[in-house]
Amino acid sequence: MNNETKNIIEIKNLVKTFDDRSVLDGINLEIPEGEITVIMGGSGCGKSTLLRHLVGLLTPTEGSIMIDGENIVGISENGMNCVRRKFGMLFQGAALFNSLTVGENVALPLREHTDLKDTIIQIIVKVKLELVGLTGFEHFMPHQISGGMKKRVALARAIALDPKIVFYDEPGAGLDPITAAMIDQLILDLSRKLRITSVVVTHEMKSAFRIADKIVILRKGKILETGTGAQIQNSKNSYVQQFISGEPDGAIPLMQTSEAYLKGLLET
Amino acid sequence: MTEFNTSPGKIRGFFGKIGQNTGLFFAGEGRLFDLFKSVVKVFGMALIRKKTVKSEHVFQQIVLMGVESLGIICLVAVAVGMILALQAAYQLKQFGAVLYTGGLVSVSMARELGPLIAAILISGRVGARMAAELGTMKTQEEVDALTTMGLNSVRYLVAPRCLSLIIVLPCLTVISQVMGMVGGFLVGTLGIGIDPYMYVEKNFDALVIKDVYTGIIKSVVFAILIALVSCHEGLSVDGGAEGVGKATTQAVVTSIILIIICDCIATAIFYYALPG
Repeated sequence: MNNETKNIIEIKNLVKTFDDRSVLDGINLEIPEGEITVIMGGSGCGKSTLLRHLVGLLTPTEGSIMIDGENIVGISENGMNCVRRKFGMLFQGAALFNSLTVGENVALPLREHTDLKDTIIQIIVKVKLELVGLTGFEHFMPHQISGGMKKRVALARAIALDPKIVFYDEPGAGLDPITAAMIDQLILDLSRKLRITSVVVTHEMKSAFRIADKIVILRKGKILETGTGAQIQNSKNSYVQQFISGEPDGAIPLMQTSEAYLKGLLET
Repeated sequence: MTEFNTSPGKIRGFFGKIGQNTGLFFAGEGRLFDLFKSVVKVFGMALIRKKTVKSEHVFQQIVLMGVESLGIICLVAVAVGMILALQAAYQLKQFGAVLYTGGLVSVSMARELGPLIAAILISGRVGARMAAELGTMKTQEEVDALTTMGLNSVRYLVAPRCLSLIIVLPCLTVISQVMGMVGGFLVGTLGIGIDPYMYVEKNFDALVIKDVYTGIIKSVVFAILIALVSCHEGLSVDGGAEGVGKATTQAVVTSIILIIICDCIATAIFYYALPG
């Protein structure tokens, strides 16, 4: 990693508790500008919660989050909306508006946040759809296109305002391997060609190693390991190794020992 | 011994549940009031900045809510007018005052039944639709998507729906009042045999302008209630299909209860504060 790279997102001591249950437990993380950072971890490790904090959908119990030099913790709604114009987000289920056509979905942020004329907006929509390989699909309704196409439309919508950062929540979830690889390629292209910072939350190893400049592994609300793809692959940590190889048995045992099972039964 | 131990627990549980539900109810009402404040703020902003609430969204909702509900409102209002005329004639016959059927139908339709029928039908038809629509949007992360795009969901989703219903419901109320009178007229003239000219004369003799405008004022209050309750229920959906179903039912039930309570209060206010 280049030492001169500026960190566009800095998370300091982020803690989130829901009714005494701690989901994020003191996260400290820097995300470098223009690179692809992949946040990984098993189900329920807090990776989606972390992402929701970064886009301002959740407020942390403690800690601070700096996005492009601005602390978004305790910021006003208007201030947060200004910060939000600097990033786009791709949701797990695409989250397209079903009552609007593909073109209108992509045009929505442009119509709401700019005073551009309709003809110019139409051109921008065409360019963005072209970028994700969906030229000519403007007039389709979201229910008329496939899951992979929906994700690509959502990506076109996320980059409509030329954001500095794009957040991806499980971009490959529910897609076939070829479509998932295509989405990965799009993420790579956007990052390399447009210098967009990407933050990807996923649990798919193949995809992570394919695109990541930096990988962060979360476990039980804490950062277990950070490093480049190669560093993570050579990690000595047994959990990381089990996670990478996808073995059912390892640091997290598949079967409990009879003593542990008995203990668990008696405790409840 | 066991019974002695469990029964106080049960009582505590029972009262505890009442306390918990009361707490939840007031928390819910508090959030509803917060939503009301946000909507008022958006309307205030709309007066200053033209682009705040888009007219095309409002017109789209007016068509969905109003035009498509016309048929059902007419049908029910005519039927209620007919029932009212028959029941009134049945009682008035004893005093030889069948002629006054028209007046009774017109006053009750204008003051009470017109606004109430329109509001209850709209809460079932439009309120349920709003709650289900917003609830599904919430479960499919569409509301979150709006938020992350820097678009306020109250401004984008709730305000156009509120405004359209405030425009639509008074119009539907007037139609419901008139159609009720038409129903009464049909039964009065064709069924009971009152002279049509006499029926119409008695119908309008009994009616004063206050009867009509109190009905319309009520309908504005009902419109705000239905829109706020339904949007609030829709936006508070948690979980998937089950949550949406629950929110839809809750939206209709809460709207109808609040409509009737508010109607009661409004009628009392009009009776005591605006006599004559």
